[in-house]
Amino acid sequence: MTVASPSTEPVVITGVGAVSPLGNGFAAIADGLLAGCSGVRAIDPGAAVREHRQFAAPVAEIPPPPEGYGLDDATFAGLGRLGRLCTSQVAHALVDAGLRPAADRLRIGLVLGLGAEHLKIWESDFLAGGSLVFEPHCDDTLVHRVAGLLHLHGPAVTVAAACASSGYALAIARGWLRAGWVDACVAGGCDVLGPTGLAAFYNLRALSRRSDDPALASRPFDRDRDGFVMGEGGACLVLERRSAARDRGSRIYGELAGVGMSSDAAHMVTPCSDPTEAARAISMALCDAGITAGQIDYVNAHAAGTPVGDVAEAGALRLALGPAVDAVPVSSTKSMSGHLVSGAAAFEVVACLAAIDRQAVPPTVNLDHPDPQCPLDHVPHTARDRRVHVTASNSFGFGGSNLCLVIRRAA
Amino acid sequence: MPTFPTSDESVGAACGVACHALVEAPLADIPQLRDGPVPPGGGTLPPRFLRHADEQTVVGMRAVLEAIAVRRAGPIAGAETDFSTYGVVSAPCQPGRVAAAHSFALFGSGGPVTVSPHIVPQCSLHSIAGAVSVALGMHGPNIGTSGGPQALGEGLLASLTLLNTGPAATHATPGIWFVATAWDGEPALDREGRPQERSFDPPICVAVAVALTAAATATASRLVLRVAAGCTMPRQPKTATRPADAIRRFAAALSAIQSNADVAGRWSHTLPGIGELRLVPAVAAPRRREAA
Repeated sequence: MTVASPSTEPVVITGVGAVSPLGNGFAAIADGLLAGCSGVRAIDPGAAVREHRQFAAPVAEIPPPPEGYGLDDATFAGLGRLGRLCTSQVAHALVDAGLRPAADRLRIGLVLGLGAEHLKIWESDFLAGGSLVFEPHCDDTLVHRVAGLLHLHGPAVTVAAACASSGYALAIARGWLRAGWVDACVAGGCDVLGPTGLAAFYNLRALSRRSDDPALASRPFDRDRDGFVMGEGGACLVLERRSAARDRGSRIYGELAGVGMSSDAAHMVTPCSDPTEAARAISMALCDAGITAGQIDYVNAHAAGTPVGDVAEAGALRLALGPAVDAVPVSSTKSMSGHLVSGAAAFEVVACLAAIDRQAVPPTVNLDHPDPQCPLDHVPHTARDRRVHVTASNSFGFGGSNLCLVIRRAA
Repeated sequence: MPTFPTSDESVGAACGVACHALVEAPLADIPQLRDGPVPPGGGTLPPRFLRHADEQTVVGMRAVLEAIAVRRAGPIAGAETDFSTYGVVSAPCQPGRVAAAHSFALFGSGGPVTVSPHIVPQCSLHSIAGAVSVALGMHGPNIGTSGGPQALGEGLLASLTLLNTGPAATHATPGIWFVATAWDGEPALDREGRPQERSFDPPICVAVAVALTAAATATASRLVLRVAAGCTMPRQPKTATRPADAIRRFAAALSAIQSNADVAGRWSHTLPGIGELRLVPAVAAPRRREAA
């Protein structure tokens, strides 16, 4: 009995389904990111907390799946906000890739990065007057419901690593493709805003309290940053082996060329001030992609805007990239999108694809006074035109999860 | 009906099983376990490490510590006991419901200031994996999986994926601590989120911890993924097993195969959309075949 070694054939991205505070779909999001738009604004979180002025980066509209998926309006509406986001992103990614699951008889897998699906569903039900959280139950998870609704016949798994969740989903999907277990795989993730989640992060002192002008609140790497701004939405991407994508004549957005993963094993909440393990994840991703630090054209930083986390990431980049770090543009698109939590990593892969597509690096808006403790080649306020072939995207999460993905222009 | 080819190509992935432990804790016993989770020979934890942890994290951590104690005392020569390079994959079933209910009740009466900041890091899907990684100093990837009734299969599939198809070989994860947890009888909660007393059939939290290794050395059994050809697998298994019972059966099979190789192959677990998992004795361990 033998086990086949995984293929080393490149895995490429052929479809994007994204719903975000900056708009929906690849083109709108790329436009927004490169124009330096902010999706952060004052929100009404509901009667229970109306006395507090709150701000976040909400999604304005969740588009229903395109016609032909057999989903009527009532079924879609009944999915709840998180379910609608997931279903919409997956369906639009498949359409963008030109795949028709019901007709094409492909084994299409689904990996969703959802950090706390159950908490979101219980919260939504509770706020609507329900009692689900108090009652014993064991319902199927969204990933299986979405796979069933969209006729995906491959394996389906939910993964979670806090703010790195949707990036781990992409890593797992690449593994399935390299192993030959699926013909194509949709992977990514998303998150939704909710009042108890906002309150928990606020009470954790992780959120910015700069409520006077919400659009200025998310300021990664800035000397005056004071926490992150929560957002909602995310992205799901269709991954395929390059030969299959070429055979179909698909548009190839880029290649998921490298994956690096590690854990700080330091603290459940506080970012680790020792950059060793985060740097190891970055180095691992570069090695996996077969590139050197000097070949990176852009780094999309995790940088959420927390005082400790941004400094730790700058240290990790310097440790991993060495002297080459001074010539690599680094930006945090969370300055515009807010922190999409479970959906952040996949959304930021879309930002990397936008940089590759438009040959320009998206900016870090609100970066008025770069923190001297974060000495990097920042891209403040406005996008920078440059050749972008190879990008890296960092994601770090509670529980000490570190993830780096290398995305490059497809050969 | 799905069919499983018997040719070499049907084996999609495999890993070693180094050790395991099953823990069952009634709800009433969990506070004691929270204060003192470490069994004899199970190492040490930072003081009061689990004070804010979800019940499934407490019992899952105990299972890992018991398995480590088994490994340290085990009969297998050369057995690894340094797990600092291992990753952690957890597969809970609806974790954090008790804390979430309490938090929502407080929010409803007292507003946002009453919401505990611990609910996010301690009640998320990856909280068990994060806690095990932090407490025991494991620097491989740590992720949560599933959260629903199919947690055992989803978690094992994710573990096999990380062990068999991860980054380049020089950075491959050498092992994964896999931790599956579920309630046998979910606790009923009052409107303040407090578990209601039940004199009969009390809720029991069940956890299995398994050390999975990429290498075949020093293991008694192997976990094998057999991939079914074509899109013939049903979306859902025909007969759904309760999550706690699925964990017990998996642990029982692991114990049986360690003591008697004749039971090999009796445990299988259907993975919708891909194939099935089986346990085999280590002597029949699959060899890796280089891709053409």
